[in-house]
Amino acid sequence: MTAAKSNRKNGRPKQLSSAAGASPRNYGLPLPGVHDEEFGGSLIVIEGMDGSGRSTQISLLTEWLESEGFAVETMGLRRSGLVAKDIDALLAENTITRMTLTLMYATDFYDQLEHRIIPALRSDFVVLADRYFYTLIARAAARGIERDYLDGLYEMAVRPDLTFWLNVRPEMAFEREFRKSHAISYWESGRDLSLSDDLFQSFILYQAKIKREFEALSDRHGFLELDGEASVVSVNTELRKRIAAHLGIQRTHYRPSAALASLWR
Amino acid sequence: MTSRASSAVEQPPASLAQPTVEASRQVEPTGKYPGALIVVEGIDGSGKSTQLYLLKRWLEIGGYRLHFTEWNSSPLVKSATRRGKQRRLLTPTTFSLLHAADFADRCERQILPLLHSGYLVLADRYIYTAFARDVARNCSPRWLRNLYRFAPVPDITFYFRAPLDVAVKRIMSGRPKLKYYEAGMDLNLSLDRAESFRIFQGRILAQYDEMIESDRFVVMDGTLPVNTLQKQMRQIVKSRIELARFAPKKSARGPM
Repeated sequence: MTAAKSNRKNGRPKQLSSAAGASPRNYGLPLPGVHDEEFGGSLIVIEGMDGSGRSTQISLLTEWLESEGFAVETMGLRRSGLVAKDIDALLAENTITRMTLTLMYATDFYDQLEHRIIPALRSDFVVLADRYFYTLIARAAARGIERDYLDGLYEMAVRPDLTFWLNVRPEMAFEREFRKSHAISYWESGRDLSLSDDLFQSFILYQAKIKREFEALSDRHGFLELDGEASVVSVNTELRKRIAAHLGIQRTHYRPSAALASLWR
Repeated sequence: MTSRASSAVEQPPASLAQPTVEASRQVEPTGKYPGALIVVEGIDGSGKSTQLYLLKRWLEIGGYRLHFTEWNSSPLVKSATRRGKQRRLLTPTTFSLLHAADFADRCERQILPLLHSGYLVLADRYIYTAFARDVARNCSPRWLRNLYRFAPVPDITFYFRAPLDVAVKRIMSGRPKLKYYEAGMDLNLSLDRAESFRIFQGRILAQYDEMIESDRFVVMDGTLPVNTLQKQMRQIVKSRIELARFAPKKSARGPM
C-alpha cells in the first residue's frame, strides 16, 4: 500500500481520476448522475465477521480521527433510510428468498452510498465503513448466487482507499459473540442453509464458507489482512499506522478518552 | 465461476465483471420447464392490459391452467417502494433495485414454481418494462441486463405499440393526476408534470423500439380496434403454444 506522497492543504492526498469510462473510483460503471470526479474525502472499509472487533475499532478510529481534526462519517449494512426497516422485517420472517434478500441489501447499500457516502466524500470527510459490499457478495455467493452476477451488481460502488479485513477463526468469533449476547443469530449462523442442526456446527460451517469467499475477494481487491484475534490495542495501532500514512498524519499518538477507555485492552 | 486475480495488489483500472450487453442477453426460452410464459409490454395507454385481460378471459373460459401476474404487485417491498416514492428518496439506481427485488420475489415464489408445475403464466409487464424505463432514467443497459438475468425468457412477448400522441391522450383523458416518478419528474425534464410525462414516455417508447429485434418482440399495432387485436393475439398464441398441454384433463371443451 502506497503511503500518501503529497500533503495538500488539509493534509491528505489528492484522489486521481481517470480519463476513460472505468474510473479508479468505481468498479466499471459510474452511478447514473454521479460524474467521474475527484473526491476530497477518503473511504476506509473495515471488514470481518461478527466478533472480529470491527465496531470496537470503528469507535476508536472515529475518536482518533476527530482528535486529529478530520470529519468522520460512518456507514454499515442495514442502515439506509430507505429499506433498513424493511430488511429487518424480512429477516424476522424467514420467508424471503435469497435473490430478493440480495437485492434488498443492494438497495440498502446504494441508498447509503448515494445519500450519505458520496456527499460525505465530496465534503472531505473520512468515511469509515463498518462492512462494505464485499460482505454482501460473500453472503450471497455462499448461498449459490453466481459471483459474476454479484460483481455486476456492485459495479457502480465506490472503490475504497483502504480495505482492512479483521480475520478471526470462526471458533473465536463464536466465543466472542456468545459472551456478548448469549445467543447466536439465525442469519449469522447461516441456518437458512441447513448446514447442520447443531447451532455451533452450523455457525462454524457457515463462517468457514464466508471466509473462503473473503479469501478470494481479498486476493482480487487487495485487502489489508489483520489478525483480528490480536489485542484491541495492537490491531488499533496497526490500523492507525496505515490510515495515518494514507491521510498524511505525522504523529499517531493516541489514548482513548474516558468514554472509550473500557474498549482499550 | 471463480475469477481470482493472481496479484494481491489492488489494480485500479481492473474492474469487476464486465459482461457485454449481448453476453448477458438471453433470448431463447430455456424450455427447462413444462409451463409457458406470455408477456405483454408497451407504454402506458398502449392498450396492453385490456388485451391481456381478454386473452386471460378466453383461456379461463376454456378451462386452461393459468396464472396471471402483474409488474409491481408483491406485498414484500411495497412499504419500501411507497416510502421511497412519498419522500422522493429514490435515485435511478435504488428505484431500479427495489423493482428488481420485488420482481425477484415474484419470480422465485410464483413465476418459476408455476412454470415448473406446468402452468401458463400471463404477465402484464415484465423485465422489458424495467429495461425501457430504467434506461430512460439513465441506468446502464449492461448493468440492467445483468441485474435481471435470473428471469426466465418469455415464450411470447407481445409489444403493443401505439404512437406517443395516441397513448398519452388515452392516459390524460382518464387519469389526470400523474404521480411524481410516473411522470419522470425526478429527471427534471420539465416543470410541467404532463409535459414531463410526455417526454418520459417518449424516451421509454424509444427504448422499447430498440428491443424489438434483439428480444424478439411480437409487435402489435395498438391503434387497431380492440376486437381486431384480440383476434390476432389469440391466433398467435394458438400457433406458437401448444395449448392442449394446459387444458383440463377430462373436459374436451376448448376455447373459441
